[in-house]
Amino acid sequence: MKVRLRAVLSLPLILLLAGSVRLADAADLKDTIKNLYGGQGILLEPLPLPFPSQESRFQASSLQGLDQLNTQLTSAIGVPSFNSSVGGFLFDIERGVPVQTTESLGPLLTERATTLGARKLDLTFSYTRVNFTKLQGKDLNDLELVFLRGDANGNGIIDTSGPFSFESDVIRATLSVDLTEDIFALIATYGLTAEWDIGIVVPVTHIRLHAKSSLTICDQAARDFLRPQCLDQFGNRGGTKIGDIPIHRFGPNSTPPAVSLSDETAVSGGGDETGLGDIILRTKYNFLRHYDDLIPDMAFLVELKLPTGDEECLLGTGGTNVTGLLVASKTYARWFTPHVNLGYEINTKDTRESAIRYALGFDARLLPELTLAAGIIGRAKPDGTGTGDHIVDLSLGVKWNPIKSLILRTNVQIPLDKNSGLRADFIPTVGIEYLF
Amino acid sequence: MPILTTRIVRLLSTVWLLGAVASFPLPGEAANIVALKGADVDVYNEALDGFKSVASRAQVSEYDMEGDLQRGKRFLARLKSGPKPDLILAIGIWALQVVVEEIRDIPVVFAMVLNPSTVIGQEARNITGASMNVPIEQQIALLKKASPQVRRIGVIYDPSKTGFLVKQAERIARDQGVRLLPKAIASPKDSFAALDAMQGEIDALWILPDVTVLAPESVQYMLLFSFRNKIPLLGLSENQARMGALFGLSFGSGRDIGIQAGEIANEILSGRRAEEIPFTTARRLRLTVNLKTAGKLGLQVPKEILDRADVVIR
Repeated sequence: MKVRLRAVLSLPLILLLAGSVRLADAADLKDTIKNLYGGQGILLEPLPLPFPSQESRFQASSLQGLDQLNTQLTSAIGVPSFNSSVGGFLFDIERGVPVQTTESLGPLLTERATTLGARKLDLTFSYTRVNFTKLQGKDLNDLELVFLRGDANGNGIIDTSGPFSFESDVIRATLSVDLTEDIFALIATYGLTAEWDIGIVVPVTHIRLHAKSSLTICDQAARDFLRPQCLDQFGNRGGTKIGDIPIHRFGPNSTPPAVSLSDETAVSGGGDETGLGDIILRTKYNFLRHYDDLIPDMAFLVELKLPTGDEECLLGTGGTNVTGLLVASKTYARWFTPHVNLGYEINTKDTRESAIRYALGFDARLLPELTLAAGIIGRAKPDGTGTGDHIVDLSLGVKWNPIKSLILRTNVQIPLDKNSGLRADFIPTVGIEYLF
Repeated sequence: MPILTTRIVRLLSTVWLLGAVASFPLPGEAANIVALKGADVDVYNEALDGFKSVASRAQVSEYDMEGDLQRGKRFLARLKSGPKPDLILAIGIWALQVVVEEIRDIPVVFAMVLNPSTVIGQEARNITGASMNVPIEQQIALLKKASPQVRRIGVIYDPSKTGFLVKQAERIARDQGVRLLPKAIASPKDSFAALDAMQGEIDALWILPDVTVLAPESVQYMLLFSFRNKIPLLGLSENQARMGALFGLSFGSGRDIGIQAGEIANEILSGRRAEEIPFTTARRLRLTVNLKTAGKLGLQVPKEILDRADVVIR
């Protein structure tokens, strides 16, 4: 009755978080990069008559390049892992006494097979900061794109000499992207029976995406980036000229505009959003426990990630994901618990994003009130798109149990391979947990 | 003077009667019961549910010691300073330990306690309850049914822990026409020599709920002894059956024990004294049979036992 009352009391808190509204009104944060130069890509300053119009020559290339980068960035923003502690007592039927299971306070980001116990309620409030710094190994503050001009004379090749040598002009774009997520999550886990837990993760996310870009028109000599200042062989800036008039240039009428006619311009855009992220429903069934000294405890975990976060605002992924995870763990000497998780996450919106999920780790009680948890967490997409197809993180953390049933937790997730996907240098998480 | 004496006696009798009546809930009045849980474990919660289902008219307030004896003692100190409950339900050995030390004048019913007589002294007249011990009669009967060859049952025990159980078991075994061969040990390491000494002398081995005997190395050696000598081993749980014991026999469920405790509480609340009610053993049992072990021992487990089994490991 007491636990049920607490569960009921905690419901308004969940609903309060779930009902949080967008605090900012920046529309379509998801398309920040795509729309950075205006929704139609780069349009150059028109040339004076009698020269033919050249303003839309980089439009297709810039649209494609930005769209690709936009997709790479936004599809890689996900929801970090969550789980709950395992605490309390189990009953030793042979000795007739309860045995404290808090030989360890449980893992942090991986799962172990043991469940909470019947009618137990675990509430956790956590804060995670994700400051993305790399995309496919490239520094987010120093991304480079090159937009190519179309074929002007229709000969099927990009001329590098002769009257149509201006076909080899390029626009070199450098981008600096500031992408951070602050995730406040309420995690509730309830033990329906001794072996069966259900849970919910309600994340409220603040996301900030700001991008700055500098655009420079260069001639073909700069295409190989050996001339970082976009200087030609004579030390002149800019693209091909007819006399003194550059064929490609930015100006007050270009998109993005320049204050005056120039071979370079700069633009920035983005915004912040706060709101409900993707809610995760989870259930774990511990189907094998204390079988014998060798066979580990085993559980099956099912997670359902709902598209409750606004995809356009980058608060959610916009799809429903279903994950099935087999969890095995075994406690040795009442203080050391290795665990293995293996499963598959189906992305119903884009099956190419479906991934094999795995984790290998341990949690160990160093002191009665202090547990160290470490693990390797991986995600591999068999049919991935090339961005973040296999990401592997190291997770290190501690849990501290200063007083009964209260656990303070801190964790850091460190990417082991920053060349795959959108990555942060490290992802810190702090949390407070109470077991009712 | 005799008249005065008679009046005084009558007056005292009346006061005593009023006190006795006042100490029990009146018909229609809900009894006030405090349930003290040693820790928050599933079986204790099940026992409490079972208790409440029987003592449905009582008002039961719960308190969890969270495995901390001092916490339990502090709670009882507060309890004693306020209005006294009609009965205390002590769930688990830790709750019983603190109640035995602190409570003398309130009826106490325990539940989910193994070997309660090791905790409750002879002087405690206010305590009774439902233990989770399995009746010895049924354990010996099970071994007898397993094989007609079983005539001598070996058991190792620590006299300071389960000496009282062995005494009862020797008598019950005699009544059932078998002989108990007990070997006393003082520490887990003594179990090896004790078991070796029984080689060829026994037809079955029985594990007692004795913490000295239950050391992992002792249990492992008993399992080994069972296989080497091809004799059945009766364990205390499904877990031990899975480890290789032929049988695992334990109490049925926490709820069953709670129901038994609730029935005892009802008797006390109806006016019966705790000291008049003996401790009970588990009424419903859970039997696990390991047929893989039976195969290794070359034993055919009778159908009667298999039909009765709750879990059969094949």
